[in-house]
Amino acid sequence: MSVNEYDVVVIGAGVAGLTAGAYLAENGFKTALVTAGEPTACLSTGCIDVCSLDTNPMAGIKNLPPEHPYHLVPEEIVRESLNIFKSAMANTGNSYAGSPEENRPVLSALGTSKISCFLPSTMEAAPQNMEESLHIVTFTGLKDFYPGYIISRRPNTKLSEYDAGSSNTMSIASRFEEKDFFEKFMVWMEKLIIDADKIAFPAVLGMASASDIVNTISILTGKPVFEIPTIPPSMPGRRLFNALKENFRTKGGSIYWAWPVTGIEKAGKEIEAVATHSEGRPNSINARAFILATGSFVGGGLTATRESIVENVFNLPVHLPGPRETWFNDDYFSLNHGIGRAGIIADSSMRPAASPWKNIFVCGSILGETQVLKNGCGHGLALATALAAAKSCAEYLNDEL
Amino acid sequence: MIKTDVIIIGGGATGCGIARDLALRGVSHCLVEKGDFAAGATGACHGLLHSGGRYAVTDPVAARECYEENLILRRIGRKCVEQTGGLFVRLPGDSKRFREIFLRKCEDVGIPVEAISSTKALELVPSLNPAIEEAIRVPDCSIDPFRLCLLNIRTSELRGGTIFIRHKVTEIIKSHGRCTGIKVSDLSTGENKEIYANIIVNATGAWAHMIASLAGSEVPMTLVKGSLVITNHRLTNMVINRLRHPSDGDIIVPNEAVCLAGTTSLAIDDPDLLNVESQEVDTIISEAGRMIPHFNHTRIIRAFSGVRPLLKSKKADSHEISRGFQIIDHQNGLYSIVGGKLTTFRLMAEKMVDVVMTSLQLKQSCETAEIPLDGQEELSGYPLSKRLQDMKNIVCECELVTRQEVERIIRQTGTRNVGDISHRTRLGMGPCQGGYCTFRALGIMNDMSVISPEQSMEILRVFLQRRFKGIRPALWGDQLREEQLVEYIYLGILSMEKSP
Repeated sequence: MSVNEYDVVVIGAGVAGLTAGAYLAENGFKTALVTAGEPTACLSTGCIDVCSLDTNPMAGIKNLPPEHPYHLVPEEIVRESLNIFKSAMANTGNSYAGSPEENRPVLSALGTSKISCFLPSTMEAAPQNMEESLHIVTFTGLKDFYPGYIISRRPNTKLSEYDAGSSNTMSIASRFEEKDFFEKFMVWMEKLIIDADKIAFPAVLGMASASDIVNTISILTGKPVFEIPTIPPSMPGRRLFNALKENFRTKGGSIYWAWPVTGIEKAGKEIEAVATHSEGRPNSINARAFILATGSFVGGGLTATRESIVENVFNLPVHLPGPRETWFNDDYFSLNHGIGRAGIIADSSMRPAASPWKNIFVCGSILGETQVLKNGCGHGLALATALAAAKSCAEYLNDEL
Repeated sequence: MIKTDVIIIGGGATGCGIARDLALRGVSHCLVEKGDFAAGATGACHGLLHSGGRYAVTDPVAARECYEENLILRRIGRKCVEQTGGLFVRLPGDSKRFREIFLRKCEDVGIPVEAISSTKALELVPSLNPAIEEAIRVPDCSIDPFRLCLLNIRTSELRGGTIFIRHKVTEIIKSHGRCTGIKVSDLSTGENKEIYANIIVNATGAWAHMIASLAGSEVPMTLVKGSLVITNHRLTNMVINRLRHPSDGDIIVPNEAVCLAGTTSLAIDDPDLLNVESQEVDTIISEAGRMIPHFNHTRIIRAFSGVRPLLKSKKADSHEISRGFQIIDHQNGLYSIVGGKLTTFRLMAEKMVDVVMTSLQLKQSCETAEIPLDGQEELSGYPLSKRLQDMKNIVCECELVTRQEVERIIRQTGTRNVGDISHRTRLGMGPCQGGYCTFRALGIMNDMSVISPEQSMEILRVFLQRRFKGIRPALWGDQLREEQLVEYIYLGILSMEKSP
């Protein structure tokens, strides 16, 4: 069995974990991140929803119910987390547009408007009203994008189709990274007659080069170009994950990939190490503090059994909405299912409340009372609580010395 | 206006069976169904082709009918019957006396049974509870009720029958006290039709009393709800029954890639108001888990209820009410056929059509037991290996359904309904329960211009709400995780709105 020593171990490679880890690494702490696999961020649209309840996200946060975990984070830290995120993304080439004072509509693959705050620059030109006319360019047989849904709401939309030789989002995106493919595609694009105000694509325009690809097409056609996020696997979500990962490594953090936590070692009120299994070999990673950012049910941080809900790493007490019958209500579209309130309740130092541990800090969607869909606060809450947890953790580590 | 000899109301197994029987005897007919085929009890059951063993003790007549029909369907419907065989297992504490009666009654009825040791039973079905005392082998089979209906209807279509699905009967037309026709409303277009006939057959199962009341007639029935759960994989290759008096959660049936387990038995009033309670799900899982322990930990992908249209009885325990059937002559040109089981649908149709023939003074005799079901050769063209070759165009990853297959069904049926595609291809029947593929199937319909884009949004809304009703009673573990992802996709990523 091998043993590794760190100041901090972050558990979970989503937006929250990578953000908290990057802050701690940048501030001189020896930081490791362990993850069971890819995070749910890869399934997301890549947009940073801060709070969709108000046209001004910062004002929306103030109106959230008192139990919402956003209230654990002072406003200046929420703003700081968004600034840090924006500059980190600009440095990786996966730049974002938007302001914390303004929500904007993003055109969804159903033709509806998704409300978000910071958008990947490839979505920046998304239409802000119904008057702007669109020309959609899609790909033959692409199985996760059906322009008819959008045309139903925007009847004057034009449509063209390019055969990229694949029906799958990920393989089309990777073809866009091939020079020959892209050149051939641009020759075809050049011949298109486009009268519409803007050109829309399903979000398959490459991986790391997506911003450049969008710019190149825009310059060629003289029209604003934007991507429409698709159902998972989502390229903008994956680009976000890759950029956060790169940022974390640049700051000096190490990632233990495919290392699910299988046990803990403890002494008194402290966790001393997490045990993991990788390729059948047991490992133990010692640290002075731990950041829990394993996500909710989809991410694998929580598991529902027939009787209760369990936190999977430290077996922390989980805030439950009630017995199983109350987890969901009858109206699928209510956005208000009780299960959205399940999670870990944190105190103002971002430590799990009602638990004895003083060196665990918790952030992201594993927190209780988030109601992410109802409040439109997915990645924004992850950024804010991650920074708050990381700062609290840094303070603890400094005091301890 | 349409004129025909016989109107059949109801597109369950009985109605479809009657249409086939009339077609083979050369009688013109028109079948009207308010939903899709197999939408009532036919599609909401275990899909068990009974050996008769289940009823041998409580209802020997029904048991004998089951066994005879079991033999016939295995012969005429090879493509919709899987000859799994079945076991009745006796657990520690289950009555030995019941075992003796069971064996004797099966012998009386003529069902071939074989008592085998627990060791032998575990060799046949390794997932069985190792603590079982013994097992009795019976010729149970598994049957696909959707295919069964479609293949019966095929014969009717080939011989000039008229079929209207998604048409609701709004009125029974009477003249001088006799029922002479019906008024129906096309639920997709709102258009009304009038259909006239000499005889009207009411084969609407749990809805029989409602149709009869349109003609001022009555059908005395007891409606009994039975709930079932579906697992995400196949835990047994044989049908597993509990060797005891019929009770809750005592049958597990393998069907394609999944298993169905149930049922419960609760009297209800309204067949249109059905809900599965969490309690029922827990009961089924714990009872099924006594026969196959892994059931306690397996993923449940959906729970649903059907309504057994049983004959009215004074018996307090609905498990004890006869599974026999009855033909009611309302003396006004309307006949109702109620009771019975999926297994005996062909016999029910035969007896019903015999009555119709007498009334029409026609002589042709029944051939449905001898002639294989039409259209079975068309079903064979899509084996798993072929689907895998076409992997690039798979739109339903859980059940390996391709875009071409979906397009073919849409072209053939002109359907505007995802359920029609599901029943014909199994699209959306796997672990994600249509979470991904419904968005795609409707997108394809959109591309083919079968539906307007506005319609596709409404269909998607209705589908998601109905899907949720099916999965809600069994949400925990991985299925809850899957559900949270699907909710995130539709309400988050796609920002789907409530109905305006």
